[in-house]
Amino acid sequence: MKLLTKTNIYNSVATVVLFTVGVFVVLKLILIKLDSEQEEQFLQAKEIIIKSLKEGKSANNFLSNIGEKIVITEIYKQTSFKNNFREYEQEIIEDGEGEEEVDVRELNFQCTINDKAYSISVSKSLSEGREIVEYIFGIVVLFILIAIIFLFVLNTFISELVFSPFYDTLSKIKTWNIKKNEPLIFKKTNIDEFHLLNDSIEALTQQIQSDYKHLKEFTENVSHEAQTPLSIISTKIENLMQEDNYNQKQHEAIQHIYQATQRLYKLNQVLILMSRIENKQYVSTEKVSINKLIEEKIVELEDFIEAKQITVNTQFNVEIEKELNAVLFNILLNNLFINAIKYNLDEGGTIKVVVNNDSFSIENTSSIEKIDKRFIFERFTKSSTSASLGVGLSLIKKIIDFYNWHISYSHKEDSHKFKIYM
Amino acid sequence: MKLLIIEDEKSLREDVIEYLTENKYSCDFASTVKSGMMKLTETKYSCALVDLGLPDGSGIEVVEFIKSKYPEMGIIIITAANSLEDKLQGLKIGADDYLTKPFHLSELSARIYSVLRRRNFGGKNVLSFDDLEIDTTEKKVIANGSQMQLTKKEYDILVYLASNPTHLITKEALAEAIWGDKAEMAATFDFVYSQIKNLKKKLNEAGLKDYIKVVYGMGYKFKD
Repeated sequence: MKLLTKTNIYNSVATVVLFTVGVFVVLKLILIKLDSEQEEQFLQAKEIIIKSLKEGKSANNFLSNIGEKIVITEIYKQTSFKNNFREYEQEIIEDGEGEEEVDVRELNFQCTINDKAYSISVSKSLSEGREIVEYIFGIVVLFILIAIIFLFVLNTFISELVFSPFYDTLSKIKTWNIKKNEPLIFKKTNIDEFHLLNDSIEALTQQIQSDYKHLKEFTENVSHEAQTPLSIISTKIENLMQEDNYNQKQHEAIQHIYQATQRLYKLNQVLILMSRIENKQYVSTEKVSINKLIEEKIVELEDFIEAKQITVNTQFNVEIEKELNAVLFNILLNNLFINAIKYNLDEGGTIKVVVNNDSFSIENTSSIEKIDKRFIFERFTKSSTSASLGVGLSLIKKIIDFYNWHISYSHKEDSHKFKIYM
Repeated sequence: MKLLIIEDEKSLREDVIEYLTENKYSCDFASTVKSGMMKLTETKYSCALVDLGLPDGSGIEVVEFIKSKYPEMGIIIITAANSLEDKLQGLKIGADDYLTKPFHLSELSARIYSVLRRRNFGGKNVLSFDDLEIDTTEKKVIANGSQMQLTKKEYDILVYLASNPTHLITKEALAEAIWGDKAEMAATFDFVYSQIKNLKKKLNEAGLKDYIKVVYGMGYKFKD
């Protein structure tokens, strides 16, 4: 969930809850006030009625003053000295509009005036006050709804404005590539926290970049500088090997030094090749048919395929033509196929090559266990049974990365499959 | 056959000279662009080995100099970095071949032989031994006067060995010369061994003497 969506949801829920509670509290307070106001009016009416009765006036005269219904009944003796309020619903028949129920409030009291006892009831419709309250309620709710919508829009707008440097930073980090050697430059911001965040990330990436550069240069330099001493060792040994008056021990020692030098030399070649790819020294391109190159590669490796009695199945569903560097692609195919042959079963294995719209895959049988996907393309990961799988695979990965392709590895029963999406 | 080696790494240069001298070439050397050019004007060489990274400039200058003044001379470029651009540039301005350090001495010798053959120096297109003749123009092998039937790989191995007579050729060098970037695979399969075995058998069947000697654990020798 996006940060802004989340804060907006929280804000909206809080606003709605706050306003709902507020509205009900206000409403309740108004109703209480209205009730006590009315009670006062009733008590005033009571005073007026008693006063009028004392003066011997007819009750009808002050009907209009109070504006409601007054019923005065003479009773034998006063039994109650309390003011009794009650509320009930009364059906009123209005002209042509049918029945309507109206809340009515009534005050009952008894009094004794000039030795005569009366029971008096004053009643009044509540609808008028209630209507006002309902009206106010409606207006308030409407205002609140408008306020909520307004706040929501405002919040979104402000948040977007406030968080825009943050999102800018985020998108720039996402697309940042250590290999491109471009510094990260963020949008200027006057928010301290974001400013600090950007500064920290800038410093961090600069550090990473310079470390990476140094490491890369170091690897490059080492592999380049190693070539001359390696050549000297190699030629010296080859010259030494020309002599044939060695004892068994010397003979074996020379042989081992020679073989170790060869291995070192091959490793060095791969490292140099990798840094050359990284330094974009294979950028020239030509249009090639992937299918044709695969077919040629299979023919090229026929000797080795036959030696292991491997059956090669090709399934070319389409013909892929690509603009790429043939040297680099040849290295890629070479490594993929050599691995597929080298680690195949000793006898009667298979290699299956499938070419699809935008991908091709090479699947081979093997007795090697599944390779850990996390480390498969790392430079010096070794399979427990092989010595040089790692360099070959990381070279493959380097070329795949160079073309922004994607490679996947899967293992099923006794077969390993590499699929390249172009 | 006179060769000029322009290489600043003394140790390497000495080994190259030692090896090539044993292969019956006479070698001169220079260690800078300037002294190389001096040597070139003083003596007539058949082929020059030029290192591209020299202390006083690029070997490319020397190559250009040779091309303009002695176009009939063979040129092999040697460089530490296997840079594609250098290679293309070197070949474009007229170098005949290109070797990356470190290289096998036998490979260097085979390349020199091949450059000299192509440039037809001394009309020597046939490697001939007592009862064996290898015509490298026609790609024919004549044993006691009759043509032998060899596979392409067997032929390549024979030429490689014969262009390095009396030298020990390691199986690694042979594998690299014949199988190139698949040499590692060839080694795992003992392909060199089986090809040599077949070749020896064919030479034997043709009634030739045992030219190819196996040096146990190390490689092979072509003995006249």
